[in-house]
Formats: sequence, C-alpha cells, structure tokens
Amino acid sequence: MPAVFLDRLPLPSLQAYTAVSVLLLSCSVYYAVQITSDPEWKLNATLEFENNEGAKNQTIENRRELSFDEVLLENKIFRRLLEIVIFMIQEPLCIWTLINMAYCCLILVGKFIQKLVFGELRVSEQQHIKDKFWNFVFYKFIFIFGVMNVQFMDEVVLWCGWFSVLGFLHLLSQLCKDRFEYLSLSPMTSRWTHVRLLALLSVILISSSSLFVLCVFVGLQAGLNTFAFMVAECALVTVRTLYIIARYFIHLWDINHEGVWEKRTTYVYYSELTFELTALVVDFIHHLHMLLWGNIFLSMASLVICMQLRYLFHEIRHRLKKHKNYLRVVRHMESNYPMTSLEEMENNSENCAICWDYMESARKLPCGHFFHNSCLRSWLEQDSSCPTCRMSLAVHGDGSGGTPTGDDNHNNLLGALGRQEGEPTHTGNQTTNHFFHFDGSRYVSWFPSFSVEVTHTNLLGNRQLPAVQTSQLDNMARQVQQMFPHMPLNLIMEDLRSTHAVELTIENILDERLVSHPSPMFQANTTHTAISTQDSSQDNYTTQPIATNERESDQRESSASTSDWKFFEDTVFSLDEDTSESSSEDNGGLTRALSSMGHGCRFSKSPQERESMLAHRKEELFKAAKRKYLATSGSRTAELASDPEPSTSYSSSSVYDEMNIFQDPSNSRGDGQWYSIPEHHAPEHVTER
Amino acid sequence: MARSALRRLMAEYKQLTLNPPEGIIAGPVCEENFFEWEALIMGPEGTCFEGGVFPAKLIFPPDYPLSPPKMQFTCEMFHPNIYPDGRVCISILHAPGEDPMGYESSAERWSPVQSVEKILLSVISMLAEPNDESGANVDAAKMWREDREQFNKITDRLVRKSLGLAPA
Repeated sequence: MPAVFLDRLPLPSLQAYTAVSVLLLSCSVYYAVQITSDPEWKLNATLEFENNEGAKNQTIENRRELSFDEVLLENKIFRRLLEIVIFMIQEPLCIWTLINMAYCCLILVGKFIQKLVFGELRVSEQQHIKDKFWNFVFYKFIFIFGVMNVQFMDEVVLWCGWFSVLGFLHLLSQLCKDRFEYLSLSPMTSRWTHVRLLALLSVILISSSSLFVLCVFVGLQAGLNTFAFMVAECALVTVRTLYIIARYFIHLWDINHEGVWEKRTTYVYYSELTFELTALVVDFIHHLHMLLWGNIFLSMASLVICMQLRYLFHEIRHRLKKHKNYLRVVRHMESNYPMTSLEEMENNSENCAICWDYMESARKLPCGHFFHNSCLRSWLEQDSSCPTCRMSLAVHGDGSGGTPTGDDNHNNLLGALGRQEGEPTHTGNQTTNHFFHFDGSRYVSWFPSFSVEVTHTNLLGNRQLPAVQTSQLDNMARQVQQMFPHMPLNLIMEDLRSTHAVELTIENILDERLVSHPSPMFQANTTHTAISTQDSSQDNYTTQPIATNERESDQRESSASTSDWKFFEDTVFSLDEDTSESSSEDNGGLTRALSSMGHGCRFSKSPQERESMLAHRKEELFKAAKRKYLATSGSRTAELASDPEPSTSYSSSSVYDEMNIFQDPSNSRGDGQWYSIPEHHAPEHVTER
Repeated sequence: MARSALRRLMAEYKQLTLNPPEGIIAGPVCEENFFEWEALIMGPEGTCFEGGVFPAKLIFPPDYPLSPPKMQFTCEMFHPNIYPDGRVCISILHAPGEDPMGYESSAERWSPVQSVEKILLSVISMLAEPNDESGANVDAAKMWREDREQFNKITDRLVRKSLGLAPA
C-alpha cells in the first residue's frame, strides 16, 4: 500500500507552506518586474510571444486579452502588468512558483470549506480522506506516465492540473458522504448543518458539470480518446455526488415525515442499485479503455489496471447477485405470504417485531407472525426463517435444502394452526406471538426465566410436543401480561395453570383476586433499594412516611404501564408530551425520589437531559453497588477464608474520595435538582458504616 | 436504513429508561452518535461476580436490528465466554449466517426480535452460568473447571476493581 509509506513523509504545516509559497511568488514577481523594466527585453518580448506555442490554453487566452487591450485600452499600468504576467508565463522558474501558488490556494480553499461546512473532521473521515488521496495519486500517476505515456513537461502539468481539480472534488464528495452517513446516525441535527452540506454537494455537482463542458472543449481539439478519459472521471464524480444527494433527500424527507413509509425502502433500494451500478460500470469501462488504448499490455501499468478491473468485475457481479436475491425474495413473499386483511390488522395490537413500529399493513407468515413488508423483506434477504419463532421459510432452498424443510414447514404450520385454535378469541390479539415480548422477562429475576426462553425457541424448532404445551401457556401468559404489564409473569402463569383460559385470568386480575402481592422475585424489582442496600433505604427514606413509599411503587407501575401502552402509538420523535413525563412533572418530588433510586423514571425529550440523566443513573448504580458491597463485605470475608484482609478496614474518608470518581461533569450543567438527594445522603451513609 | 435503526434504538432506549430491568442501565453516552451505547451490568447475585458493576460498550450496525450489535466489556473481565479483550461470546450476538464455533444452531443466534435488553439479560445469565465448552478465554474456562477457588479469587478482585476499591 503506497498510503502507509507516504503517510510518514514529514509534511510542513499549512502556515509554513503558505508563507513559503507567498514568499516564492513575491520573489518571482519581483524578478519579473526587474526583468521587464529592462528596455532590451521589450524588444524581444513580442517576438518570443509570437513563437511560443507551448501551453495552449493559457497562451490563447492571453493573446486574446492582448489584442483586446491593444484595441481598447492604451493604459500604461495595465500594459505593464500584462508584460509581467506574460513574462512569468514564459519563464520556467516563475511558472513553477505560479503552479505552487495555485496548489497552495487549492489547499487553502479546501481548508476553508472544511472549516465552514464540516468543522472538525472525525478520525474515520480523516483516515478515509488520506486513503482516498494517496490512492488517487497512485492511480493517476500510473495513468499519466503509464497509460498516456506523456513526454512533455507542459502536458504533464496540464494533466496534473486537471487531476488536481478532479481529485479535489472527489475528496470533497467522499467527505460529504462520510459526514452524511454520520449525521444520519444522530437523532438531532440542526437544519443549518444540512443546508451547508447540501450547498456544498450542489457546488460539487455544478463544478463537475462545468468540468464536463471543459472536457468537450478539450476533446474537440485533442481527440476522442482524451475526451473519453476525461469524461469518465467527470462522470464518476457526478454520479457519486448525485447518489449522495439522492440519499440525502430521501433521508430528509423521511425524517420530516411521520409514521412508516412503506415504499421508502423500495425507493432507497433502487436508487442505490442504479447509482452503484452506474458508477461501477463507468469505472469498469474507463479501466478497460485504458488497458486497450495504450500499447501497455506488457508493463507494470497494465498489471495494476488488470487488478483494478478484476476488483470492479467482482463488485459488479456481487451487486447483481444481491439484486437477484432481492428479486427472488420479493417474488417469494408476494406469492407465499399474503398481505393481511383489514380486520386482521384491527385485531392485531402488536407492533412489527423488527422495527417496533406500528403496523398499518403487514405480511403474514405461515406461522402466524406479522411483519412490515419492507422489514420482512430485508430480513429474508439475509436469512430464511421467521424472526420470531425461527420457523424455516425455505426462501432460498425452495424446499429442497438438505434438511427436510418442507416437512418441518408443514409440521410447524399445523402446530401454528393448532395453537391458534386452542387460543381463546376473546382477548383481541389473536397472534400466536409467543416469543415476542418486551417487558416480560424483567419481572422475572435473571437466570432461570431467561434461559427457559432461549430453550423455548430451540424446542419449537425441534418440534417436541411438550414444548407446545408450555409455549401455549407461555403465550397466554404473555397475552395477559401485555394487558397488565405490572403483573409478574410467574403469577399469571400460576393462575393460568388453574384457569386454563385467558379470560378467566383477566377477570381474576380485574376483580383483584389475583393481586400482584410481592412475590420474592418481583419484590426485588420494584423496590430497588431493598435488594441493593437494606440499611441505606432506611437511611435515605426515613423522613418519608411509609405510605409514600407504597404510593411510589404504585405510581411507578402505573406510569410504566400507561407509558407502555402509549409508547407505540406515539411515534418516537413526536413532540407531544407523553403521560409519564406529564405525571412526573405533576409530582416532581416523587419522581425525583424515584430517580434517586437509580431506577427508570422518565424519558426526557431533550437529548442533553437524557444524557445527563443516564450518567446520573449510572453513577447511582455504582454508588448503590458500592454501598452494598461494603455492607456485605464483612460477612463475605468470613465466608471466603482465602480473603486475607477484611475490607472494612478502609477509612470512610478514602471511600468517600473514591466515590467522587463517579461524579460526572454533567453535574455542573445546572440541572442539579436531580442530584440533590443522593449526594447529600450517600457520604453520610458511608461514614456511618 | 439508518433511519429505521434509529427509531428502533430510540424505542429501546426509551423502554430501558422507563422500565429498566434489575441491575442494568444502558443508553447512548453521547447522543450525537446513537449507535454507540454504554451499558452497566451488575453481577448477578449468588455468583462470584456478585456486587460488581461492569461497564460494556455496545456498537450497533447501521442496519440494526437486522444485524446484531457488538458488545465488549470495557473493564477487565475474567470469564470463560469473554475474550481477553472484553468481547462477549454468546450465541445471540452472532449473525444467523455465520457460525464461528460450528456448534450453534441458527435458532440460538441473532434475530431482529432480540433486543438490547435481551442481550444484556443473557449476558447476565452467562455471567452466572459460564458455558465452558465455547472457550473464548481458555485460561478462564480451564480455571473455572478445575480450580474454582482461584477463579473466585480473581473475580473478587475484578468486582472490587469495578467498584473502584483497592484490591483486598
């Protein structure tokens, strides 16, 4: 890789380079002034000028200027200036300083654009730019000296100039691409940033189109081959820039458009396909042209170009293969998985399990799971099983894959049907979505429950009968729990085991026959401090009446459940306040106490506040864990005979110091109200230890 | 692509904030990049990791949830299923296509219905019950099998370290 080696070259800083360039330029100007003031030079000047047939473009332009001036302006100063310029163009040394100055200006312009549009570049962007730059230099070097086999200095200079401008545009569009991709990862980006980036993109587009015009002019003089070489490069920049702009507009439209846009992915896909394929094909033809045009079959340059051709060929093939796969999946989905009917959608309260968004229309898999059309398609492009229950869908193998997928499929289908029949139709959500749950597992303490879940999918895949039994129960329990998120899953399960019907259990819950009395596991969850620090909860909350404590947990549960319901109706970015937030503002004291428990509280609309709340919760968790650890370490050391020193020997002050490690700088942002309670209490508590 | 991933991540973040599971805190550290989260995991009770608070980094791909995130502990860890550099080796973090170990059925691997919460819960259960067949850290697996006391000593040191306490 040439980039690695060239990277280590010691380059002067931009200031130094600019200073040197300016100095050189002024030197040469001074030299030019000195020479042109010599009367002898003037006599020869016109003669030399007539003879000079070198750098074509510039001289042609200058000649026109000269005649123009001679006719219209007999201004003495202007003539003088003109003389100096003409002299500088003819004198080799001065030309070099001029070229150097031009590059310096280009770099300065680049720097200026970077400051204006991008600000500080990120590390990955810098790396991309560097790679791209050296790559570009490398290939263009091969092009100029290997393919074109340029012999004269002025031609080299012209080609270099051309590629410098082109490379500049290439790098800028690469930078735009990187930045756009980065911006699309962030939920909040100011309008102004978008405007600047889009403006830059359009400037790139305009300049590459004007370069295209230049190509035509040069092509008329220099022949078809040169024209083709130049146009190919131009077209590449244009296509890439257009691609970024197209993606950008789709992204912007999408961000400002509420709800799910079903067709979006199709548009995105096809725009991606066209642009990528166009760019690849143009590049491929360009390289092929290079290989065939020059008589370079037996040189290093041909080797490099062949390698590049091979790479491009593979890329094109890969892209086409992907497209074929895409088409197959689309066909398969359209023929096998029907769009759901309207009433099915009305009965279905679930969201799409892939994007967690509300479903207006969906496709139904044979196992009875619903997904958005676009979500399902993008998943099936890479895997051929139901995301929820892992039932094999045989998209790729067409049922003839080594395993008896067809049979399996059939079995699964029967199983799914059986399950549907076995289910009571009362509850309104008929889906047999037995594995899909958001809030179930958190009410069950960690290990046993969760591992049950994993094996559950496993068993379903293997089609063992008992699994269906449990999964049915499981499924029913989840249905109930979705209506009553605050009920612990194991409690519902227990009740279901005796009632065998969802309606009965629901009635039980509604009649409060089934009270969510704190089962050991559940208790551990709701009253967080109870498990983390038994004594600290006394410390922190003795001032509050016990009744508040109870209300607190009630409040938390109810807000949790309402927000759960509300959550999926809200689009995530909508601006209206949601219930949990408004309720938290009603009784700020309560939620503050809650948040001081380090437990979930509210979800702020402002990113900064979210960040600081997250940092705060982390800090709280650390503090609670440490308190608990110190509290139990006494008994621990007794248990672990290997532990030589009792850790209670730490002085309280050192512990306090260590605690400060976790205090986030965000504390100083001014929203200190959230931190007031814990910070006062924690140190006191520790000193007491 | 990134757009739907962003919506989904925002939804998960909201849910994890409103109803956090016990002993888990997770969210994007800096919301300028919503695809890089930090999670804090409390060591499960009754295990040798009890009491510790272990930070980990979650990096989401732009096509999340179609591809799984990458998870890496940013503190020192010693566990049979955690590579020495902190990467976590559990089956639900492996994309359905690939099978690095050659023994996982595709049912155990990533699917878009999984979520950050489920990942973190299964990491907790992994902490509680190491699977010494898939040796991400061979030394740890060996010690877990043969010299449990020594293993506990090391994890106790890690717990103390994670809390910012000097080693006992």
